[in-house]
Parts: sequence; C-alpha cells; structure tokens
Amino acid sequence: MTQQIIVNSRAIDILAVLMLITTIILIGTSRLKTCIWVYAFRSFALTLVSGLIASFSGIHHIYITTAISLALKVIVIPGFLFHIVRKINIKKGQESLINYTFSLLLACGIILIAFYSTQNVIQFENTFMRHCLPIALSITLLGFFVMIIRKQAIAQILGLITMEDGMFFAALSTSYGMPLIVELGLFFDIMVSVIIMGIYVYRIKESFNTLDTDFLKELKE
Amino acid sequence: MIILFLLIIPVVTASICVFIKKHHVSKYISIAGSFIALIYNIYLNYNIYTYHSILGFNNFFYVDALSILTTQIVTIVAFAAALYSAGYMEAELHDGVISEKKLQWYYFLFHMFIFTMLLVCVINNLGVMWVAIEGTTLATTFLVGFYNKKQHQEAAWKYIILCSVGITLALFGIILTYHSAKGVLEEVGYALNWSDLRAVADKFEPHLMKLAFLFVLVGYGTKAGLAPMHTWLPDAHSQAPSPISALFSGVLINCSMYGIIRYHILTSKCVGSEYSCTLLMIFGLVSVIVSIPFILIQKDYKRLLAFSSVEHIGFVALGIGFGGMYSVYGAVLHTFNHAVAKALLFFCAGNIFLKYKTTEMENVKGIIKTLPVTGTILAIGVLAITGTPPFNIFVSEFLVLAGGFASGNPFIITFSSVLIVCITLIFIGFIYNMYRMIFGTPTMDIPKGETSKFTTAAMLFLLFFVMIISFYVPPLLREVLRDIYDIIRNVQ
Repeated sequence: MTQQIIVNSRAIDILAVLMLITTIILIGTSRLKTCIWVYAFRSFALTLVSGLIASFSGIHHIYITTAISLALKVIVIPGFLFHIVRKINIKKGQESLINYTFSLLLACGIILIAFYSTQNVIQFENTFMRHCLPIALSITLLGFFVMIIRKQAIAQILGLITMEDGMFFAALSTSYGMPLIVELGLFFDIMVSVIIMGIYVYRIKESFNTLDTDFLKELKE
Repeated sequence: MIILFLLIIPVVTASICVFIKKHHVSKYISIAGSFIALIYNIYLNYNIYTYHSILGFNNFFYVDALSILTTQIVTIVAFAAALYSAGYMEAELHDGVISEKKLQWYYFLFHMFIFTMLLVCVINNLGVMWVAIEGTTLATTFLVGFYNKKQHQEAAWKYIILCSVGITLALFGIILTYHSAKGVLEEVGYALNWSDLRAVADKFEPHLMKLAFLFVLVGYGTKAGLAPMHTWLPDAHSQAPSPISALFSGVLINCSMYGIIRYHILTSKCVGSEYSCTLLMIFGLVSVIVSIPFILIQKDYKRLLAFSSVEHIGFVALGIGFGGMYSVYGAVLHTFNHAVAKALLFFCAGNIFLKYKTTEMENVKGIIKTLPVTGTILAIGVLAITGTPPFNIFVSEFLVLAGGFASGNPFIITFSSVLIVCITLIFIGFIYNMYRMIFGTPTMDIPKGETSKFTTAAMLFLLFFVMIISFYVPPLLREVLRDIYDIIRNVQ
C-alpha cells in the first residue's frame, strides 16, 4: 500500500512538472495553434493527476470530475478554440508586449516567487503535496502573465483558462478537489465563459478587423 | 422551500419571456414577474424578523438579515428596472434601434441576471456563491454589448476578461478556506457551508485565513468596483442600456460587497477584526479618492454616474471597515440608499439619452424645459447622491462619519477627515456638471415631453424610497439593520 502511494506521488510529481513546462512553452510560442495544442496537453496531464488522486484517495466523486474535465478541458474547449482560429483565419503569429526571450526570463522569476512564497504557507501531511502547491500557484501566475503580455484576444482567453487550470490543480493538491457541486458549477462557468468570449472574439474581428486588443480604444476619458 | 420559490420566480419569468415575440405582451409579463418577486421578498422579510435565520433545502440555502436586505434591494430595483425597461425599450423599438427578436433575449437575460443575483444572496455554500457571482458576469456580458457597436463590444470584452480574472483570484481564497476548514470540521461535505464555517472559524489557521481574505477582497472587489480594480466599471456601466446600468450600479456591486462582508465576518472571527477592517478601509478610501478627478473632468454623464458608484462602494467599504455601531449601521443603510438613488439617476440618464441622442454633457442643456418631470427628479437625485441634507444619502453618510469620529482611534479619525474633503470635492464636481445640464437653454430644437408613462412611474417608485428614508427609517428596516450589525459583530 505504501509502495503504491510512493509510486503515485512520483507520478503526480512528474505530471506536475510536465504541466509547468507546458505553461512555459505557452509563453515562449507565438503560433496560436501550438498554444492551443499545448493547452490541451496540459489539461490532459491535469486530468491524469485528478484520476490518480481519485484512485488512491478513494473519493468517488473525483472520478466524476475527472471524466468531465477530460471531456471539457481536453476535447471541447481546445476544439472550440481551433474552430474559432480556423473560422476567422488567423495567419500571422501574435505580437507580444515584451520579446520572447525576456518574457521567458520573467517567467522564471515568477516561478521562483511562487516557490518562495508558498514554502511555509501550508504544513502538509503528504510530502508530494509540498511540490504541487507552488507549481499550481506558478501556473496561475504565469496565466496572468500571459494575459498581461499578449494583446491578442485568443491568447488572453488561453491565459485565463491557464489560470483556471492552476486553480484546479491547487484545489486538487491541497484538499483533493472541491465539493462535487462546486466543481460542477466551476465547469459550467468555464464552459459558458469560453463560449461567450469566443463569440466576442468573432464580433471584435468583424468590427475592428483585428484581434489585437490594443485597438480597443474607443472608451477613454 | 420558501427560499426556493424566490429563485423560481425570475427563472419562470425569463423562460416565458424568451418565447414571446410581441413586446407589448412580454413587457407586462416581465413587470408582473418582478412585482411578484418584490412582494414575496417582503413576506420573507417578516419570516426573518421572526426566526432571524432560515436554513433550507438540506442546508443548501441560508438566509439571514444580511441576505434579506440585499435581496430586498435587488427586488426593489429590479421591479423599477422592469417597469422602466417597458417604456425605454418601447422607445428604442419605435426608433428602430433594436428589433423585437432581440428584445426576447433582452428580457430573458434581464431575469436571469436577477436570478443569479438572488442566488448569490441566499446560497449557503461559499463555493456555489462564487459560481453565482461568476454567473452574474456571464448573464450580463451580452447585455453590456447589447447594441453591438464598436464601443459596446469593447466594453463587453473588458468586462468579461477583467471580471473573470478577478474572480479566478477569489477562487484561490475559497480553496484556502476549504483547506483550512477540512482540518477542523468532521463532516467534510459541509466544509464550505457558511453556517457551519462560522461556528468554527476561530479554529482555522490564522495566516491561511488572512491570505484567503486578501484574495477574496481583490477578487470580489473587482466585481464590486473597488479601486484600483474598477477599470471595467465605467465602460460597462455606461455602455449598457440604461435599465441595465441601473441594475449594475444599484445592485450588482452590492451583491459582490455582500460576498466580501461574509468573508470579513469569517476572517474577523479567526484573526480579529483589525486585519480585515484595515484592508477594507484602505481599499475604500482609495476608491473614493480615485473617483474624484474623473468626476471633476467628466464629459459623459453616464460615465459620471458610473464613477460615482466607485465612490459610493468605497464609502460602504469604509463604513464596514470603521466597525463601530453607527458606522456599520450607516454603511449597510448606505447600500440601500445608494441603490435606489443611483438607479433613479440612471433612469433619468436613459430619458435624457432618448431625448438628446447623445451622452456628451456639453450637448445636453435645459433638461428642465424639455423634460420637466425628469429634470425635477434629476435635480433631486443629484442632491441626494451628493449627500446634501435632508436626503437619504446624507443620513447614511452622516452616520458613517459620526461613527468614525466617535471611535476615538486616530487612524480612523484621519480617514474620516480625508473622507469629508473627498465628498465635498465630489459634491462640487457633480453640481457643476449637472447644473449646466439641468438648467440653461436647449441648444437644439427638441420637442417637449416625457418618454412614456412607464419610465415616469419607475422613477416615481424609486423617488418614493429616496424620500422616505430621508425622513424616517421604517421599523422593519431598522430591525433588519440592527440584526445585520449583530451578524457582522459575530454575536448572534
């Protein structure tokens, strides 16, 4: 049994690191399609983590959220984003406020801050969770960072759902996920918000003829 | 069960409205639905008066005086807005700005918006409360972008992105709370229920709760419009159709404030009230100060009203932060007063927009001549919102400040003094801008006459509340306010 837990926690560690690496790739890539693939891959890793936690904690409702997460985050949302990218036919890569090399450097700084600040926040019984909370916080902050440096509408959506992934991971690693009803509500909210944002991406493209949110300058003092 | 019924009313109204094509039918259904909700809420008020708190539906709902006051504000303003929408949208339809098909969606989203706001107030589970607050964003994004021109799309995009980011941060606070509650409560399934959390909040880990409160304050504060997270607010509030602006400024920010107050109570019980009170005071004062320059130099009257909402929500945060009996009583009364007065002003703004077809203040002159009723009500509303005696906002602002000065704490007294200077400056800005709009001679040739009976009725309905609180706080409301003070102090 203990053997099992050690194997599991190793696996979760590896998956957590994979999630972090994919988030860094998201910052270093300009092609939108690659970014969406990366997002789908990270969501898959998150789903695996949630499945593993379900299997060794024996809490049944985590299986349900794992299944929904697989359907929604790995298949539906990336599919929807691909659909938008194809429909509005974006060719050129996205502009970043800061150049890619420098933003990777800043990303490293953010990860360091996340690790440093969560070191003593929570005293954990299981050792593996100690690595997971800083990674969850890093993913959330990196998502936020993406929203700040990328001015392109779809990249901002990607940043937002990255933040939400980080939150899911934080919930999983600190307390085996939230109660079922809250998780269901979260999934519903994420799905609806991505759809609404998708619709607005389409409308903004129609009327502004660009997706660069820097051009949104009608409303100012 | 009695609480569930309150939530069913707007959902049923919404689902009927979405199927009715003719506006002259759907407007009556919408008015009737919101009227039933208003009456039902008054009935619930008496229940709370007797039992103090109601737990229902397997502990899913929890209603106490704080929730009932917020739902009461929601239903009052919602009824007025439904009444106003009937006249406003009729005029828009007549001008050919919108189609009847779009109005079906308008009424559907309108009532779903009411539903999500009521849900925020009656829910027991803090996680589901988060879901409901995000739900208010989702229900209203299309209402912000309703006219679908460039500036509306921009406002809607800013609104959904900024509010979603903010609220995601609040989720982290809830996760931390859940984590610390799991260690204390035996029944883990209830670990996010407010009624259970409150009993054991003093056993939580203090530094976790501090962190959680900070995240929740920033997250829900974004939705409430506390500076410096308020940047979406003037855009969204000014671009939405006027009845929706009234709901935004009047009640939506109160619903987010309600979430913050719930967390404030938990945190106070865990680490003592000083920490959360200080944070609330700082955010509150920053909001009031930030709004001043924008009110003084404003060119657009709907944005002027929106920035005034930033000021007033800051004022409420300050009042809660001061923490004395008078301040808290005044701050909670202020949420009510601000809701009715600001909704009233947005209704006036809607009438002006329909008449003058512009939101630029310099193009609007002589409202009192072209729109006699609106002009008079606008003058009263402006005096009320700036806190001129004897109107209702003066009463609540006076209570908050009196409580601040009486506290004896030098820190709070400094805050109160700064606050007095701020509201004086805001008063000057408001009167200067509005005086030129209300009086003076109309520059263009504009026919005289009010928009419609519905809009006038809606304004008179809210004016009634503004006037009544100015002179007399009804005993039922007084009881509710006293109850809320006890809840915030954690004695009940």
